[in-house]
Amino acid sequence: MAAKEQAGQASRLASWGSALVLIALVIGGLVATELVASAYIQRVVIGLGISIILVVSLNLSNGFTGVFSLGHIGFMAIGAYTAAILTLPISLKQVNLPDLPSWLARVELPFLPATLIGGVVALLIAFLVGLSLMRLSGPYVSVATMGFLVIVQVILINWDRMTRGARTFSGVPPYTTLWWVWGWVALTVYVVSRLARSAYGRQMIAARDNEIAAQALGINVTRARLLAFCISAFFTAVAGSLWAHFITSFSPKAFYFAQTFSVITMLVVGGMGSVSGSIIGTAIITLLSEALRNAERGMNLGLIHIPPVYGASQILMAVIFVLVIIFWPKGLLGDRELNLGRLFIKRRREVS
Amino acid sequence: MKTYLGSMLVVVMLLASACVMPVTPAPAPAQPTAAPAAPIKIGVIYNLTGAQASLDAPSANGAKLAAKEINAAGGVLGRQLELVLYDGKTDAATIGNAATQLVESDKVVAMMGFSDTDMTLAAAPIAAKAGIVFVTSGATSPKLPEQVPDYLFMACFGDNVQAAAGAEYAYNTLQAKTAYLLIDKGMEYTLLLGKYFKERFTELGGEIVLEDTYQTGDKDFSAQITKLKGLATIPDILFISSGPDDVGTIVKQFRDAGLDKPIVGGDGYDTPLLVQIAGKGADNTYFTTHSLMDPELGTEAVKKFIAAYQAEYNTPPENAFAGLGYDTVKLLADAIRRAGSDDPKAIREALSQTKDLPGVTGTITFQPGSRIPQKGVTVILVKDGKFTLAAEVVPQKVPAP
Repeated sequence: MAAKEQAGQASRLASWGSALVLIALVIGGLVATELVASAYIQRVVIGLGISIILVVSLNLSNGFTGVFSLGHIGFMAIGAYTAAILTLPISLKQVNLPDLPSWLARVELPFLPATLIGGVVALLIAFLVGLSLMRLSGPYVSVATMGFLVIVQVILINWDRMTRGARTFSGVPPYTTLWWVWGWVALTVYVVSRLARSAYGRQMIAARDNEIAAQALGINVTRARLLAFCISAFFTAVAGSLWAHFITSFSPKAFYFAQTFSVITMLVVGGMGSVSGSIIGTAIITLLSEALRNAERGMNLGLIHIPPVYGASQILMAVIFVLVIIFWPKGLLGDRELNLGRLFIKRRREVS
Repeated sequence: MKTYLGSMLVVVMLLASACVMPVTPAPAPAQPTAAPAAPIKIGVIYNLTGAQASLDAPSANGAKLAAKEINAAGGVLGRQLELVLYDGKTDAATIGNAATQLVESDKVVAMMGFSDTDMTLAAAPIAAKAGIVFVTSGATSPKLPEQVPDYLFMACFGDNVQAAAGAEYAYNTLQAKTAYLLIDKGMEYTLLLGKYFKERFTELGGEIVLEDTYQTGDKDFSAQITKLKGLATIPDILFISSGPDDVGTIVKQFRDAGLDKPIVGGDGYDTPLLVQIAGKGADNTYFTTHSLMDPELGTEAVKKFIAAYQAEYNTPPENAFAGLGYDTVKLLADAIRRAGSDDPKAIREALSQTKDLPGVTGTITFQPGSRIPQKGVTVILVKDGKFTLAAEVVPQKVPAP
């Protein structure tokens, strides 16, 4: 008994210790990136961070509650456009968006409040949409959320005075930095992983695994799903704002099926229902596709010269995706979490 | 479990290192004749895969052909021209990464690419920040240069120019006094083209009787057709501002409904799909574009280009964008030659003074202060399922961007 308690304590200690080590490693890596790495590597790391926020927040809905949403990129679009309208310099607003309502035309907000407002707008819309959609499950909710994505797309294209319609929304100030992105990554990962382990999180997981049993236990399935949907919409919109201030000019077509499937691929490869899995899946897909993109341009391997084969990277990524689905149908981590602490003390526990 | 997680970590680390390793791509195949000096590098980004590939892949081929011809003739300033080509994958983030690599690792002296406004705006600011010019071969929005001051040049005419040419041709030559206007609301290109056409046509004294819209990818135009047929008299011409993917379907449905007035459009019509889908219905359609890519009816420069392209790629140029990619490389080479050095600043200066440079898609001149070339517009008439030259037009007045 005493030995077990000791082991438990050691496990907790190791867990905390390894978490600290991990945080220190990440911060160290970021500082190194900021100081030494080329602008290209910095861009990749920023893009990776934005993707992590997208995938981790999508996971809260798709992984933990089993509401397989195909419409989250709609929230990304809402966050991107809301924040971009708010941060656009007033002088540019008169040129690019001459028909803005006057109260908006005179507003020019800093990055953080604009991003937060973008997130809150998405959260409110998610709440309204979710009130009805979260009663559905299985493929029905996927189709319904995809309908939401189409609606957002059509509104963006037709609401000319706010979004410039299909024309490029340009001149967004390039506020997004490594630190903004990774600060939001930390917050997203913290909130989602804490939420997943809270009573609400358990309710979400119960509702995912067996809806009827969960209801029999008195869990309000719709409420649990709605909570997850709203919170994930908030962070998805934040990622949208970060993306908008990173790319700085975009049009509605950037927030459509291509982006949707890219995020879902990362989620499925990493493992739905695992926060660490989402991060690993995103890292693998992002870094691998960058590496392959550079490799497909051809190279000299000593005597052998490989000619460029453009498009090969997408084909290879698809093959890898199929292999992952065959050999790890639940993704690389499934619904387990990567626990570094357990790695270190596993042997001792086995002995006891 | 432990080995599983451990192996996962190893995989992740390997991937991370793999990503860092090939950042500096291997040097291009050694030049057959050892050039005395290092080659002059031009960064080229085109979307060779993804939605933009049908326009960008021919552009990239045209660009490569131009570089090959220049190098065969001795290069520029006695040095070979090297195109460093990246695939943008029709993805803004990837394009930004590629542009950064071109500046940072490849150290190019100028950049070019793209047939789309969004894509151009994803790359050009990065070039501008590094003090390098970006020449877009096929993005026709005349608002582009003002969005990236000083460093963004266009090798093609602006939509205001081709819309004005279309309007003047319709009013003066086709004797059209009234017009119907149908606009695709889903694209910047079609919105601008329709807007500029309306401006110039009404300025000339013409009247837009009915205006309607649709959305990229729509398949059924019966609602628009019913509205048009509800008019007391059908307008003299039907100006349909549409992209390459929809134009065939629209023209076919309008003709099938018995509307036989001339249809007028822009360079989005310059695709084999128009005749393939609309068949006989494509006849009596006029559109403005960069040049007539026809081995018999084209200009001398076009004939030569088509022959060279055919010899190199075993296929005739897919569309005028191949010619635009070709002309853009020639434009940059000319600027480097006149600058007398590969200094990016000198190249920008020389580029802005380009005068009467002949090309496949017309003669390029940059007026002082303007980074949109003054180019003639080719008007094409579809006759018996074939593109024929209707006119070469220089519009008398062009709407402001």
